[in-house]
Amino acid sequence: MKAAPDPRVAALAPEPCADMLIRLPPIRVRTGAGEVAGFLRETGDARTGGFVPVTFPARWLALPAIRGLILQLIGGDGFLPVHEAQSFAYEHELQIETDYVLAVEGRRTAKPPRLTLKMAVSTSQGEICAHLETVLRIVPLNLEPAS
Amino acid sequence: MIEAGIEPAPPDWPRAGDEIRAQNFGPFAREALARYAAVSGDDNPLHLDPNAARAAGLAGPPVHGMLMLSCFEPLIMRWRRDLFIARLSGKFLRPVLAGEGIRVSGRVMRRRDVPRPELTLRLIARAQNNDLAILGEAAVLYKIPDPLS
Repeated sequence: MKAAPDPRVAALAPEPCADMLIRLPPIRVRTGAGEVAGFLRETGDARTGGFVPVTFPARWLALPAIRGLILQLIGGDGFLPVHEAQSFAYEHELQIETDYVLAVEGRRTAKPPRLTLKMAVSTSQGEICAHLETVLRIVPLNLEPAS
Repeated sequence: MIEAGIEPAPPDWPRAGDEIRAQNFGPFAREALARYAAVSGDDNPLHLDPNAARAAGLAGPPVHGMLMLSCFEPLIMRWRRDLFIARLSGKFLRPVLAGEGIRVSGRVMRRRDVPRPELTLRLIARAQNNDLAILGEAAVLYKIPDPLS
């Protein structure tokens, strides 16, 4: 999840500290057929038929604004986010080739050192479709050269 | 409001204790991890760069947890096509290293018939050495299968 911090996040976020919570402005996304097909192909799901897999929204964690949020909450180089837990809860199935809006907040806790992202996926009309929660463990890197 | 039929449970609706037959996924070679990184956007160097993996204390790049968690959906939908996965969650307990595969399985923990047919599933992904890689859970609802899918 290496990326330059999104300037929108940098403008919102305080300097990293022990515990903090950041909410992003709404983010527009789309369930493009090509992206869904590629995701299905690489996750061992042989089905076809124009549906969106349950775990597909995890792809949106890689959006520049959310990557920037993660980097901001981690607090700089020398640490790596390691996925510890993930959940998806659906009110409605997502539809292919459809626009959605993400509401994202990230919380960092110092004890234990964790980063929790909560994402709500809504239709353009504001109807909630799904909630995601991502828990990342913040692992310090051993930057000594390997012997 | 969850999208699922309010039809009664079909006669063959599973019962608590029923097993979901185990299936193998992978092995996930480093090339497969690179392809998954491309389609998911998760290009965390931990999964792609052996040096980054070593710096994090691992013997090699681990398979993306989300790639393994994603295997639960085909497991469930090959078991029964008449389900809507309303909830899916997993805890990533042990890394599975690039080049290895996983064996995923499940069991019905709870059956509920009202207000609508629902099952709670315990899901497990094990590494080749039988280590527990993911402990998962799903809530699935009965729905009339789409004849096109």
